[in-house]
This record gives sequence, structure tokens and C-alpha cells, in this order.
Amino acid sequence: MNEYYSLKLLDRMEGLFRRIGVDYRTMRLILQTKLTMDGRRTPTVLTANQKEANTSSGSPLRMHWMYLLFGLLLIPFVIIEGNYIFSMGLTFGMLMFLISTTLISDFSSVMLDLREKNILHTKPVDRRTLSMAKSIHILLYLLSLTLTLAAPSLLVSLFSQGVIFFLLYGICVVLLDCFILVFTALCYLAILRLFDGEKLKDIINYVQIVLSVGLMIGYQLISRLVNFSFLDSGFDPAWWSYAVPPFWFASSFELLIGGNSNQETTILSLLALVVPLLLLATYIRLMPLFERSLQKLAAEEAGGKDKGTLARTLSMLTCRNKQEATFFRFTWSMMKNERDFKLRTYPTVGLVMALPFIFIFNIVQSGGMSELKGSPGYYGMYAIAMLMLTVVQMLRYSASYKGAWIYKSLPLVPGALISRGMLKAAVLRLLLPVFAAESVIFTVLFGTEIIPELFTILLALLLYSVICWRMFPQALPFAEKYEQASRREFTGVSFMMLFIMLGMGLLHYFAAQIPYGVLVYTGILGAANVWGWQAAFGGRPARGKDMPGAGA
Amino acid sequence: MLLEEEPVIEISGLWMNYSDRMVLRGIDLTVYRGQIIGYIGPNGAGKSTTVKIMLGLVEGYTGTVRIFGKDISDGDAAYKARIGYVPEVAEMYDSLTAREYLTFIGELYGMPHEAAEAKARRLMTLLDMERVYDKRIASYSKGMKQKVLLISSMLHDPDILFLDEPLSGLDANSVMVVKEILATLAAKGKTIFYSSHIMDVVEKISSRIILLDGGDIAADGTFGELRERSAEGSLESIFNRLTGFDQYRDIAGDFVAAVMDGEAR
Repeated sequence: MNEYYSLKLLDRMEGLFRRIGVDYRTMRLILQTKLTMDGRRTPTVLTANQKEANTSSGSPLRMHWMYLLFGLLLIPFVIIEGNYIFSMGLTFGMLMFLISTTLISDFSSVMLDLREKNILHTKPVDRRTLSMAKSIHILLYLLSLTLTLAAPSLLVSLFSQGVIFFLLYGICVVLLDCFILVFTALCYLAILRLFDGEKLKDIINYVQIVLSVGLMIGYQLISRLVNFSFLDSGFDPAWWSYAVPPFWFASSFELLIGGNSNQETTILSLLALVVPLLLLATYIRLMPLFERSLQKLAAEEAGGKDKGTLARTLSMLTCRNKQEATFFRFTWSMMKNERDFKLRTYPTVGLVMALPFIFIFNIVQSGGMSELKGSPGYYGMYAIAMLMLTVVQMLRYSASYKGAWIYKSLPLVPGALISRGMLKAAVLRLLLPVFAAESVIFTVLFGTEIIPELFTILLALLLYSVICWRMFPQALPFAEKYEQASRREFTGVSFMMLFIMLGMGLLHYFAAQIPYGVLVYTGILGAANVWGWQAAFGGRPARGKDMPGAGA
Repeated sequence: MLLEEEPVIEISGLWMNYSDRMVLRGIDLTVYRGQIIGYIGPNGAGKSTTVKIMLGLVEGYTGTVRIFGKDISDGDAAYKARIGYVPEVAEMYDSLTAREYLTFIGELYGMPHEAAEAKARRLMTLLDMERVYDKRIASYSKGMKQKVLLISSMLHDPDILFLDEPLSGLDANSVMVVKEILATLAAKGKTIFYSSHIMDVVEKISSRIILLDGGDIAADGTFGELRERSAEGSLESIFNRLTGFDQYRDIAGDFVAAVMDGEAR
């Protein structure tokens, strides 16, 4: 087992942990073990036979390139002179948005984990130590992520704004992390206390979606504010700004560096210090309760009966091959039942539902609702493509990945048909409903003349799904264990896919500038779809045609 | 059994319900040192719930559970240092090697690092697992994993062992070794709580058999006592009679008919 630098840093705070009743040595031991495990790949049934070299360890605290890139975007805000409330408010807003969404989508499962109960809870270790170990484990990741995010702007601020600014920024970032972690944990605790069994798990899912969408809208709100507030440099906080955490942290800059010590700024700055610490104290007090409430998640209840009529009908309509149809139905029911999958994809569903509206928000703000008709705002619907980007990545993971041995033991025709059935299910279950809902709203907003354009967008989205599938490494559905490290390998591809999405939107836009352009574009898309859905899956399977229809 | 001896486990009036369903209906149970208790019952009878309550994994029960003479509901986890547990499902941190995992567990039980490491290696060697000591547990066969679980439950020399299907996946030779280990441990005064569905083993190994049915204790005594009461040959048939199950032939016949029917079509 390795010695981790982060743990050595933690050793400095040993006394503090002891004072709140944590068995520090045990906690350190658990953390060290967990960090070691995080660095290792769990071999799945399907990769177990591959060479050892592939399962070598990577550091869990590896650099996250995506976040470093986001971090670079923050640099301008720490350079500009003037009102700190807005520059730093925007910075903290962005930090908070990125950190919270990552926490909710990637670390909720760690926070609500029950699998290790048999291992750890049967040992003579008290609950406080166990849940502290869990929290610190998550906090270490959050901090490493935040540092990557904030590092570029932190460094620049040291030179452009001086040491005090640098230190204050650093402290605020740590406080912000604690705030986010504890706030999320307390939210979960409240839900755990209020609800029971299956409903509890569903509610958690909904809360995650609502939180993600809420964060995004909140962030948009802050950036809107900046637009007009730069005009008058005096900051007059409205009543609601007390409820927006990024403003608290930003105010401390105004107070300590800007020398603006009016009553509002002082109160806001105090909130930045007091609220995180107060929540932290509450959390430490309630930690044993949290662990105890988690047991509720373990209570088994029979799920509702579902005959799968809808899935069967759809699979018959869309799949000609029996095996393809089988995997369509399998993927369909897994997507419906697997909570881990929902937990990681549904926030994206919320996000893509909201993105097109944020896109048109700018138009409405500058010219009012009347400006909307005739504007190209509906191109925002291309953002729905991001849903497929997430779903295609997530379809390979499952909590019950060990069940994948069936793929090896069944007489399956490998490859193509499995993948296509799987992708069709994802498109029908997630992409199309989202698209349909958005289409209805957009038709109301933009008028019926955009309906042909919507058809073009739909074709583009379908083609995009296939490209997504092709670009990511091939995998069988629900056959791998979800791990942070393995997902990070997809960052490069994800970026490229984002550009492809933008490219498709732009092509559409330019095609609309020339006569019959859209018509040609639509035609090309249609042809590409027909070709793509065949070719991407390794061509037409030899036995595909003469097999009887599904489920007959 | 000496009368003045203090019981190791003392359960009285234990009730437990999961949302709407009663799992335990007033269990009373006293266990002394050196007993091997065969804890049997049909699926869903409440066996694992009882064990989980004693391990502090499940809360919300009514009644009292005293282990080593101390009520466990006060939240003090210290008593767990004298308990070993082999859960039904082989849950382990399987991305660790056996060395790492066992040392970790030993340390959690309060052993010094070196002592835990040395003892783990010795026990692994004795069970013929030395060559995989530094390999990841994920690469083990089912039987090997089971051996690691068994070792992890005994590493700290506990006074009570809770074993849930401890022989699953072991080969015939290992089964004999483990059975002998359990008998010897009991002779040295350890208490073993053995739940299993394999009646032959329970019949041979247990000094006392407790049959749970529908959250109640349906029978409690030595195998001899149970046989006297029910006038049946094996524990299996006693089990069938006490749980009111007598149609196994019909069900098997129908099942095979259903299997063959699918094939014929």
C-alpha cells in the first residue's frame, strides 16, 4: 500500500479530528486503503483475460485535463480591476457550479454507498469515524478537482493581485468545498429521514436532477447580473443576494481588499465564514445519524410489475433481427431500473432540457419575445446531442457489472446487433422524449414554420448518436464497473464530440443562408443516417434478414 | 453446562419488522461458551436478520440483545472486537491483494500492523494459499475467496464466530479442514453460530440446533432431542416436517415437466 501525500497533510490535523471524537488512526487506515483501491482497475469479466499491463494502477489524484481547461477560463476574472463582487462572484459561481454537479453525479454513489457495510460496520469502529473517513475521502477528491480548477487563476492572481488576494482566494475555495459537500450531505440526510424504501431512492434521483438544473439556472442568473451591473459600479445587494453563496465569498474580497466596509458587504462576508462552519458543525454532530439512516436504503422491496408491453412493441417496430430486439428490450429495462445509470444520466437530461432555453434567453433579453420569431434561436436544440454523449458513455457501466458473464456463455452473434439494439433503445427511451418535449415548446415559441427545421435537427441528432457510438471505445451494455479513472480516458473524445455537435449546428445555420441549402443538408443527413446505422455496426449481419420478427 | 456460567449471547423478546412485514416475532435465545449452534430455517425465516442485529448492522428492533453480558444498543462498537463474521455474499475489497486486505482487517480489529501481516501469512500458508498471497483477490476462485473470508473472520482470535454458509465454494478437502477447525475452536471455548442450508453438515457439526420458521423458533435442542421429538431420520426430513413442507416430489416432477416441455417445442 502506498503512502499518500494527501494523508501526510491530513496528519497535521490529527488533533482536530481527535477532538471531535474521531479515531484518527483507524480513519487514516481506511483512507489509505480506499486510495489504494481507487488507483486500481477492477477487472471485469470481459477484460479479465487481457494482458496484465492494461490493469496497471493509475493515481486516483491524477490531473483532470478537462477541469484545467475550465480553470484557464477563470483567469480573466482575477485580472480585471474594479468591483470584486462581480468578478469574484462570477468566479465562485462557476466554481460552485462545476464542483457541485460533479459531486452530485459522481460522488453521490460513494456518499450513499452500502456495499461496504458488511466489511466495515462489523468491525469495532464507531460510526463517527466511519462516516468521517467517507467524507474525507470525497473531500480529497473534491479538493484535488477544485485545485485543478482554481490553480491557473490562483497563480495568476498571486502576480496580478498580490499575496493577500491569493491567500483569501485559497481559503475561500476550501470553504466553498466544505460548504458544497456538507450542504449536499445534509440534503441527503433530510431525504433519508423523510422517506422510506423505494420511494426514497426515487426521490434522491429527482433531487439530484433538480439540484443540477437549479445550479445551472443560478449560474446563468449570476452572469446576467454582471452584464448590467458593470455599468454602475456601486453594489446595492438585493434581498436575494443573501441567498446566493458565490456573493458571500466575493464580498469578502470587497471587504478585505476593496476596502468597501459598508453594512451589506460585511454581513455577506460574515456569511461566507459562518455558514460553512455552522453547517460543518451540524454535520459532524449528525454524522452517526446519517450512517444509521443509510440502512433504510438497504431495505428490499419488491419492484412494481411491468409486463414490458411498450418495450416489446417498440422493439418489434424498430428491430428486424431477434437478437437485436432482445438487446433493445434488455437495455430498455436496465435503463429503467438501474439507479446508478439514472443517477449519472438524468442530471444530463435536466441539463439538456434547460440548455436550449438558456440559448434563447439572450435573444429574449436583448429584444423581447417578439424578437424570437424568425431568429435562429431554435438551433439551441442541437444541445440535446449532449445527452447522447453522456448516455453512450454510461451504457457500458453498471453496478451489477459482474452479471456480464452471460454474454460469454450465451450463443450470441457478437458485436453489431447487440450494439444497435442497445443504441436504439437509448435513442427511443431518452433522446426522443426529450426532443419531443422541446419541439412542442419551441413550436409554440417560434411558430409552426420551424417544424421542417426540427425534422432536420432530429436527423442530425440521430446521426450524431451513431457517430458517438463509433467514436467511443466499443463495449457491451452494462458490463463494466463505473470508475472515475476509466471515464477520464474519454475526455479527449468527448471534446471532439462537442465540436462535432457545434459543427452540425453551424452547418445547418450556413445551409439556411443559401436557397434550398437546408433541403440539401436534410437530404445529406437522411442518406448519412441510412448509411451510418448500417455501416457503423459492421455492416448488415449475414443472418439478419431471414430471421423471424422479434417476439412473434 | 454450569449454571453459574455467564451466557455469551442473551436475546430476549426480539421483534423486528421491515416496513410492513414482521421478520422476527419474539425470539428468546441464550448461548453459552463452547457451543456450535446450527442456525437453520427456510429462506426469509429471519436467520440473517438475527445475525445482523447482533452485529449492529440492523437497527430498529425491539427487545434486548446482550453480548458478553453487555447491551449492544448503546452504540459502543467495542464488543465487535471479539466477534468474527463471514457474510453470506463474499463481499470484499477485491482490488486489494490478500496481504493488503487481511492486514487492513486485522488492523481494524485493533491488531498491530506487523502482527496482523505475519498471522495472515501463516494462516494463508496453512490453507495452501501462500502463492496467491500477493495477488489481487479479484483474480481468485470462489473457494479461494471463501478461504480469505474465513481467515479474515478469525485473524483476531474472536470469541464468537458468525458464519453464514462458510463452506460454500470450498473443495471437499478444505471442507474437512474447516469443519475440524470449527470443532477444535468450540472445544477451546469459542462460540460458533453456524447458519446453512446444507442439513447434512449442520447435523454433523452442531452441538445444538435452532430451527427458525416465520420469525419464530420452531425447535431448539441437540440433534438427538430433535429426532426424538419428530421421529424422523435425518435433519433434512425433520426440517421438512417442522416447516410443514411435504410436496417436494410433486414440485420436482412439475418442474422437470416444464423444462422438457420447453425443449420439445
